[in-house]
Amino acid sequence: MTNQEKIALLEETLEIDEGTLTEDTLLEDVDEYDSMAKLSLIVMMDDEFAVKLTGDMIKGFQTVGDILAVMEKA
Amino acid sequence: MYSELKDVKVVGMAAAVSNTWDNVREFSTEDEAVINKFIKTTGVEGRYSANPRQCTSDFCFAAAEKILEEKKIPREEVGVLVFITQSSDYYLPATACVLQNRLGLSTSCIAFDVNLGCSGFTYGINIVGSLLKTSQTKYGLVLAGDTSAREKSQKIRRKFGHSAELLFGDSGTATLIENTASDPILVSSHTDGAGYKAIIAPYEAFRNPDRPASEIPGTRMDDIEVFNFATSEATAQINDYMEKQKKNPEDYDCLVLHQANLMILKRIGKKTGFPKEKVLISLDRFGNTSSSSIPITLVYKYGDCDDERMINALCCGFGVGLSWSTVALPIDVKDILPLVHTDEFFEDGYPREEIEE
Repeated sequence: MTNQEKIALLEETLEIDEGTLTEDTLLEDVDEYDSMAKLSLIVMMDDEFAVKLTGDMIKGFQTVGDILAVMEKA
Repeated sequence: MYSELKDVKVVGMAAAVSNTWDNVREFSTEDEAVINKFIKTTGVEGRYSANPRQCTSDFCFAAAEKILEEKKIPREEVGVLVFITQSSDYYLPATACVLQNRLGLSTSCIAFDVNLGCSGFTYGINIVGSLLKTSQTKYGLVLAGDTSAREKSQKIRRKFGHSAELLFGDSGTATLIENTASDPILVSSHTDGAGYKAIIAPYEAFRNPDRPASEIPGTRMDDIEVFNFATSEATAQINDYMEKQKKNPEDYDCLVLHQANLMILKRIGKKTGFPKEKVLISLDRFGNTSSSSIPITLVYKYGDCDDERMINALCCGFGVGLSWSTVALPIDVKDILPLVHTDEFFEDGYPREEIEE
């Protein structure tokens, strides 16, 4: 999966308009990235990549790029 | 651990709420987009909230009265009463003692409170079933509920942070268990106190009596930790339980999960192999009702059915503690009574300041 495809998947998961996010987008600037969106992210990562996101991992995410880095099959 | 309860049977179930139903769209001050997302994620469209003077015990009392009256149970034959709540009437005495008297039960009755939340109902079945088996008494009552939508203290009605404030509902339930020949009931119970901070109200009890002004009042919840706990541990427990019973989802009429939020329910349903139509939902109407949620979901689904047929309900409660428990309950649908509405409360005669609305 290319980075562009991962970003598109992330936008779909977080219910954000297509083309909004880049690798450098700071998550604290994304209004939609709230506690409910984080639960959707956990579900997507488990279903699509078999990655179990922990609370500490999520707290460590600063940018969209940090999330893309773990979007690999476990 | 697994417990096997021989010759005990659930013979009555009721749930009570107030007459006040709050529509999330009407009482929330959040903008529409946030509300839509909240409803989609949690499944909660509204909830019943207790009137200012109503306590959990008032709802449990009304539910228990309904069962005792409808089923014409001689009150002297009820020898066990366990009240499971995190919103008791007083610091002391145990609210169960007050309820024993209010319900007109014999003084030859074991009555005590248990401080558990979302796993409370399934734990309660285990506790009351076990006590019935070591006594000669005929009936026991599991009274479970919470008024989580409102935490009340002194003059201030505390509010949770935004999503939790919308998520919770107030209610109380009663489940009557009879000491009678029956197939054994298997209960699986787990505890992981390492996660005690995931859902906690740390202040204003004995450990930290004084809350610094910088700290939020009431209960705090780590949504992500709770989500990961519920979807992994509850799922594992249910799957292990089915294996132990040598059963699969086709052998149960329904999966009745603690109504935490819709996303958790869908996730556990999927990972345990239950089809969507078997995973019962009551969140839309009642919100997350803590230890009431399993019986209230059964009442919502079957309370108005006139059928006389046995169902096998696989029930799993999970949450604060962390604590989780699974039990498969065979219940006759006719023993699940219609929802009770009450605005009544217990007048104990103590002077009090009115709660600010």
